[in-house]
Amino acid sequence: MARNRRLQSPARSLANRLLRRFGNLPLVQRIQNYVFMHVHLFVASLGRICRTPIASAMTVLVIAIALTLPASFHTLVDNLGRAAGNLEATNHISIFLKPDAVNEVGSRIARKLAEHPQVKEARLVTKEEGLQEFRRYSGFGEALRLLDFNPLPAVVAVTPKDSLTRPEDVDRLIEELKGIDQADLVQMDSDWMHKLAAILSIARRTVGMLDLLLALAVLLIVSNTIRLELHAREEEIAITKLMGATDGFVRRPFLYTGFWYGLGGGLLAWILMSILILLLDGPVSRLAELYGGGFELEFLDGGKSLPLILAAAGLGIAGAWGVVDYHLRRMAPT
Amino acid sequence: MLQFSNVYKRYPEGGDALAGISFRLKPGEMAFLTGHSGAGKSTLLRLIPLIERPTRGQITVGGRNLARLGNRDIPHLRRQLGLIFQDFRLLYDRTVYDNVALPLVIAGFGPAEIGRRVRAALDKVDLLSKEKRYPRGLSGGEQQRVGIARAIVHKPPLILADEPTGNLDPALSEEIMLLFRELNQVGVTVLIASHDLGLISRLGSRVLELNQGRLEPEH
Ligand SMILES: Nc1ncnc2c1ncn2[C@@H]1O[C@H](COP(=O)(O)OP(=O)(O)OP(=O)(O)O)[C@@H](O)[C@H]1O
Ligand SMILES: [Mg+2]
Repeated sequence: MARNRRLQSPARSLANRLLRRFGNLPLVQRIQNYVFMHVHLFVASLGRICRTPIASAMTVLVIAIALTLPASFHTLVDNLGRAAGNLEATNHISIFLKPDAVNEVGSRIARKLAEHPQVKEARLVTKEEGLQEFRRYSGFGEALRLLDFNPLPAVVAVTPKDSLTRPEDVDRLIEELKGIDQADLVQMDSDWMHKLAAILSIARRTVGMLDLLLALAVLLIVSNTIRLELHAREEEIAITKLMGATDGFVRRPFLYTGFWYGLGGGLLAWILMSILILLLDGPVSRLAELYGGGFELEFLDGGKSLPLILAAAGLGIAGAWGVVDYHLRRMAPT
Repeated sequence: MLQFSNVYKRYPEGGDALAGISFRLKPGEMAFLTGHSGAGKSTLLRLIPLIERPTRGQITVGGRNLARLGNRDIPHLRRQLGLIFQDFRLLYDRTVYDNVALPLVIAGFGPAEIGRRVRAALDKVDLLSKEKRYPRGLSGGEQQRVGIARAIVHKPPLILADEPTGNLDPALSEEIMLLFRELNQVGVTVLIASHDLGLISRLGSRVLELNQGRLEPEH
């Protein structure tokens, strides 16, 4: 019996709490009022922000800039990563022959290398083909026309067998190819790719840290703006608390304010990113063509924009929450 | 309704503002709190909504011991009180209507109910025609009446007023005191701190007189 009563008491205290909160009005009407209050605050907080357009615009702009930094860094790293992926597929070795070696020498070397156990394919790129490609992609076509001879060497493009994956095996093959009589320069196309991959992995880690830092910056911007507003509305808060407002009631409008600042900053950052990408798209696709990568800049798909904007709104709410809570704890209980 | 038992209040700087206060207000009773300036009237009133906590002694409001209430319970306590301040404490960037609506908004009432009750309260203090005005544009007496409307709009069982007629002319003072008596006649318990001894004696209610933080014996 005694145990039973003890078990009941938390439930009863919860019931009392609910009753306090919802008073004696019908539940449905209480919920209606609650929803109405939130809709009201949602609109009213936006109205309050718009009443100080310049100060609010500055806050939103600073948030947007803080967000654009990591977002553009992400875009850069992502796109470089994808570019690197595309290029890795063309993982081949180029043997540049001595300038005076004629095409026939090249085709003999190519035929012989095709028999090599570690080579999948060996193909001659004649001097003439080289010149044509160079004209097409480099933009130096006109300058070359002025020369009355072809300065480009014949090249044998060697694709190693797919089984040749370990770097030291590739290196051994390269050493062997360097021994060919007419070879001037042997270059692994993916040499710099490995370096790029290393740089990219560092960059990815840096991006993570940058994200954290700039998320912190957004938190600070929002909380500082809200702190100023709290200051301006100190008397109002004191009066509402005297009239029986809970901390939640005092906090709510500021959370909406934080939400609007974050959302505004996120949307503006998204617009800034879009402009940036539109501006870069032309040069980048020309560059991509030059390297035979054939890719387009990517950013504006919902998969990345939505998280950016939602994260911004969330940071706005979190920043507001932190500073209002701090303020309320300092002024408690009056 | 309200009971003080041997209550002390000592501020960190300075001596006892209240020393050994004991009295009881029955439900539906009306009383005046008088005393010289600095006698402790405001301090006593501040202890009831827990704006301050007593140093010693026990206060019960509506049968609830205030010492047992944590900070989380304070909002609920305050919603059952009607507070009127000498310096009005109105929101100057809100209309008269919004000011009076505040306790109802806090308590979570819907817009229709709020409209009905706010107009009833404004009608009682004779300010129905000024609901869209801002408090700055009102006279001191009108601002005090806005404060009174706000204190009664949620129909609290206990009203505490700290010098509600401090800045009013005698005619208005009397009118406001009569309003309090009217509220008292419909069952609200009222405690009013006031200097206006002439008016108090004319109204003939119970008087609690403070002298340097102590209650004088009642006669
Ligand atoms: N926050 C405070 N900190 C320190 N001392 C205070 C504080 N509030 C009031 N006091 C002191 O407590 C005593 C009582 O002050 P209280 O304001 O209650 O007087 P009162 O009766 O309301 O006076 P008045 O008629 O002038 O309003 C005074 O001596 C005052 O100096
Ligand atoms: Mg006083």
